[in-house]
Amino acid sequence: MNMELELIPVKTRILTPKDDIVDTIEKYAKDMIGPDDVVSVAESVVAITQGRITSPEELAPCFLAKVMCRFVPQKGSLSSVYGMQAAMAVEGKWRMAFAMLAGLLAKLIGRNGVFYELAGEQAALIDDVTGTMPPFDKSIVYGPHDPSGVAEAIKARLGCHGAAVADVNDLKRAAVLGVTKGLEPASLSKILIDNPFGNASQRTPIVIIKNYAKALAKANA
Amino acid sequence: MVGIVELVVSIIIVLVAVALVIWLYFIRQGDAEFEFLVDQRTGLKLDSINSNVAVFSCKVPFVNKGMQDGTIMDCYTRHLLPREQYDGVELASWLAVETRPRNDGYFEALIVPKTTGETLDITLKFTAKDNDIKVALADMVDFSLDIVYQVVARREWYIAKQRMIVVADELIQALNAETTRA
Repeated sequence: MNMELELIPVKTRILTPKDDIVDTIEKYAKDMIGPDDVVSVAESVVAITQGRITSPEELAPCFLAKVMCRFVPQKGSLSSVYGMQAAMAVEGKWRMAFAMLAGLLAKLIGRNGVFYELAGEQAALIDDVTGTMPPFDKSIVYGPHDPSGVAEAIKARLGCHGAAVADVNDLKRAAVLGVTKGLEPASLSKILIDNPFGNASQRTPIVIIKNYAKALAKANA
Repeated sequence: MVGIVELVVSIIIVLVAVALVIWLYFIRQGDAEFEFLVDQRTGLKLDSINSNVAVFSCKVPFVNKGMQDGTIMDCYTRHLLPREQYDGVELASWLAVETRPRNDGYFEALIVPKTTGETLDITLKFTAKDNDIKVALADMVDFSLDIVYQVVARREWYIAKQRMIVVADELIQALNAETTRA
């Protein structure tokens, strides 16, 4: 089905906590969206418009955060003491501590990923400093709240076939965090795997998947 | 009773041993450690000049010589040229990472992998108060310029600074070299 789909990135200005993501999509993309299209939006931008950001200067790391961040590989957002503290603030420090202990024990028997399975969704979604474009490059950005609810709101306002909130990067990783009823996250992940959102400086947080419904019907025929 | 005491002592010994092992792990792991190599900076170069404004620049390398990746959250110049020291010019200064040039004075937070580094482009803009920059710079004095940087890594964020000296003779030499060439 992917071969038949056209992906249209939509450029916006920098969005801030003062913006509403549904209003923004309506402002920048309303005329481009049809009833067979799926509207996808970058999760970090949704989170920013929801005000789900903090900064190292606003956080006071606890002892556990200082210890636990040392056990996270350097490339992870939780490897900094503030990334870890931010995750603890929303998921609970004892839950995170239990998850880390379980994760370390699981690694001893060759099973990876247990920490993120147990630590809660935000532990995997947090973007540490540098994870987002200026002026949020000095901020820690949480994952969005109620991504499926956001997707439903987009669909209701724009009259499209469906909508999705996705976490995609240039490392061929795409995770769909929330979708409207009837859409398959796994299918959308494959469609978005090449990161049509581009890098942050391209400022294209909205991607319209044109004629998704028609392509799906054709594929199922 | 003796059994309970032995149990408590054993638990304490185990906890102390675990804490010691973790502490040694942290020591061995280390952290990011930045150094701005002002002694390796390039000489000042005249970028542009008109009747009352002269713009100079130089390059200052920096390295993360630590054992962990580190993030420079912010970095900026702070020139120290009080009017009591010299009142002939107004000075503005700013910096940018050489590989990420920008002209808005904003420093985009930058991850610097361990044992690697980058180079800063530092710019100094002198504006003569009497509208003749060559006359104003002729009486220029040496002054200090701090590179102020905010770092976050495994440990908590901190702000530090590295001082460099801008030598008046160097400014005048750069000015003369460029005007002679022109």
